[in-house]
Amino acid sequence: MKARTFWLVFAHEARVLIADRTLPLVLTLFALLIGYAITNGIVEIRARDAAVASILTKQNERNARNIDQLQRINAGIETPAPFSNAADPANVGGGLGGRFAYVPTSALAPMAFGQSDMIPNYYQVTYRSRVNFMYDSEIENPWNLLSGRFDVAFVIVYLLPLFIFAMSYNLLSAEREQGTLRMLLSQPLTLTKLVLAKVSIRAGTILTCAILIPVAALLIFRPETRDAVSLVQLAAWAVLVCAYGLFWFAVAVIANAFSRSSAANALVLVGSWVVLVLIVPVLLNLAVSVASPAPSRTELATQTRLITVDGLRRYQKLFSADYRYSDKPDLLLPKDGRFEVQSRPKAAFMLQRDVEADIQKLLDRFDAQLEGQQSLVDRWGVISPAIIVHEGLAALAGNGSQRYLHFQRQVATFHATWKQFFEPRILESRAMTEADFAAMPTWKWQEETLRRQLSDLSVRAIQILALVLVVAGIGFWRLKKSSAV
Amino acid sequence: MLEALNVSKDFGANRALDKVTLRVKPGEIYCLLGANGAGKTTLINLFLDFIEPTSGEVRINGRKVADDPLSTKRDIAYIPEQVMLYGVLSGIENLKYFAALATGERHSREQLLALLTEAGLPEAAADGRVSTYSKGMRQKVGIAIALAKNAKALLLDEPTSGLDPKAASEFSQLLAKARDRGVAVLTTTHDLFHAKQTGTRIGIMKQGRLVADLSSQDLSHTDLETLYLQHMAA
Repeated sequence: MKARTFWLVFAHEARVLIADRTLPLVLTLFALLIGYAITNGIVEIRARDAAVASILTKQNERNARNIDQLQRINAGIETPAPFSNAADPANVGGGLGGRFAYVPTSALAPMAFGQSDMIPNYYQVTYRSRVNFMYDSEIENPWNLLSGRFDVAFVIVYLLPLFIFAMSYNLLSAEREQGTLRMLLSQPLTLTKLVLAKVSIRAGTILTCAILIPVAALLIFRPETRDAVSLVQLAAWAVLVCAYGLFWFAVAVIANAFSRSSAANALVLVGSWVVLVLIVPVLLNLAVSVASPAPSRTELATQTRLITVDGLRRYQKLFSADYRYSDKPDLLLPKDGRFEVQSRPKAAFMLQRDVEADIQKLLDRFDAQLEGQQSLVDRWGVISPAIIVHEGLAALAGNGSQRYLHFQRQVATFHATWKQFFEPRILESRAMTEADFAAMPTWKWQEETLRRQLSDLSVRAIQILALVLVVAGIGFWRLKKSSAV
Repeated sequence: MLEALNVSKDFGANRALDKVTLRVKPGEIYCLLGANGAGKTTLINLFLDFIEPTSGEVRINGRKVADDPLSTKRDIAYIPEQVMLYGVLSGIENLKYFAALATGERHSREQLLALLTEAGLPEAAADGRVSTYSKGMRQKVGIAIALAKNAKALLLDEPTSGLDPKAASEFSQLLAKARDRGVAVLTTTHDLFHAKQTGTRIGIMKQGRLVADLSSQDLSHTDLETLYLQHMAA
């Protein structure tokens, strides 16, 4: 009897919502938005994948050309140009042979662009200081940084609550205002069961839409999402979206439990959205900036310039030396496994090495401050469900801040390895050999373990589910005190 | 049986009901008269568990409403002054929903049409949207819901208010049938004529108190009007 009553109300609500066109209208609009968002995501990630594939192809082609050139030089059939000499370790360790370090797109990447808006997904690693390729510029249109991209995470975090409000701001108030609540509650039906059934039909439809459309699109258009790990990630995605949606439904229940008018409920709900989705994250950013001030790019740039100027003075003589090969082209050719690296490229290498060493403390502080800010956001993000869920969705999409920090740490390690490989060859004037090309460090991305991802996500899921329980608990407790009159 | 035993209800500093005691036995139609704000609807709301008494007890068929409101609601049917239904649905769809909620059973279209016809709604109107119904038509759907429930007690809050004389008369006949089936009926009304005609007992409320509890057989229309006016003037 109890379950039957629930399904009776559930089916009746569906009939009313269809008859008054609320459900078709809201779901169609939401489906269009989320459909557009996932399409946008798939297109963007395809472009990103294509860009990475293209630079890797170019890198391989260039490597092959370098080896080919080295063979021709060694065979004495080519005299290379000064700055594109495959036998010169300073050339190869620099732009000629620099390797690309990239973070591969995750299977769920089209769902949330996350940090990929802020941080490049690849760098060309050379002997140049990291400060000159990892910390040198903003790469994004500031307007995009401000407003975020139109991805599925944006639709879920920012727009889904508004659709939920459109469906539930008058959950009970409409029944009260049109007088049907008295008719309903004169039957053997509790207010709690009435509200549960009403929320269930609304949550069931819109959350199904929010989950099924992007998941189906990914499964169809992104075959890599069909493996076991991705399916687990998709399930985690669904849990986060459901929990977030239920949080806002619980807020709607609280608003309705106070027996105010539908207009007042709508105002309260939009107010709660403004506070929790817009104001709290901004305030948290401000608080984090005060507690752990953002590293100053100006300071970094100024220090880099000062250190560079010092270095230029230190190696003034080397930089002032003439390129001797202009009148002695034989200097561009290796002899007995040796290659005389010219003063200027050698000075450039040493300058970059010194800049890297001198700026290291500042870079470490820069990185530590960024990580400190992130850990503060992780700790205090619990005050806004929007932060918890946005961070969680970005992490699942492989575009979360932790994965990008993981990427940057790996780039730093790869960069150090790269320099270690070339430093003795440049300073000891050792010519590049074919064996050297084969032994050159190669970029290998080490993915975060699924266990680490899931443990991070579990924390976020627990945080959001705890919020849902608290808010729903308050809502239904208040509902019990509410009356039909 | 409907029982209010020494019931009081306060809304803040205002006392809406003051130690009211009344009993409506099976087969009785108890008409409650009184001015607006006398406490008639408050008493109905207590039986429906919409509000709780400040003191005293409200019982339906011997069970305290506050102890098990869902169970006591199975025994009562309620028709408010204005039966409000879902305007986007038809009369028969509304009846189907409320009847299923009330009884926990699914009714066939034939059964639902029979109930609407018994309540006086033409069959042709059954599939029309309720938003196009008059007040009287909605009232008839409300009656059909009460009929579907086949309840042991009826709570009616000014049920004939706004009905045309023919509809009000048909309604009185339905009440008489219910009474004959042993249903206990508690109805509030401002209509002295209707009260005298249909009621077996009549109560007069004033400022939250039951100031008269009379058998209608012992009263003429004139007596009732005089008595009522005396109480209102006092």
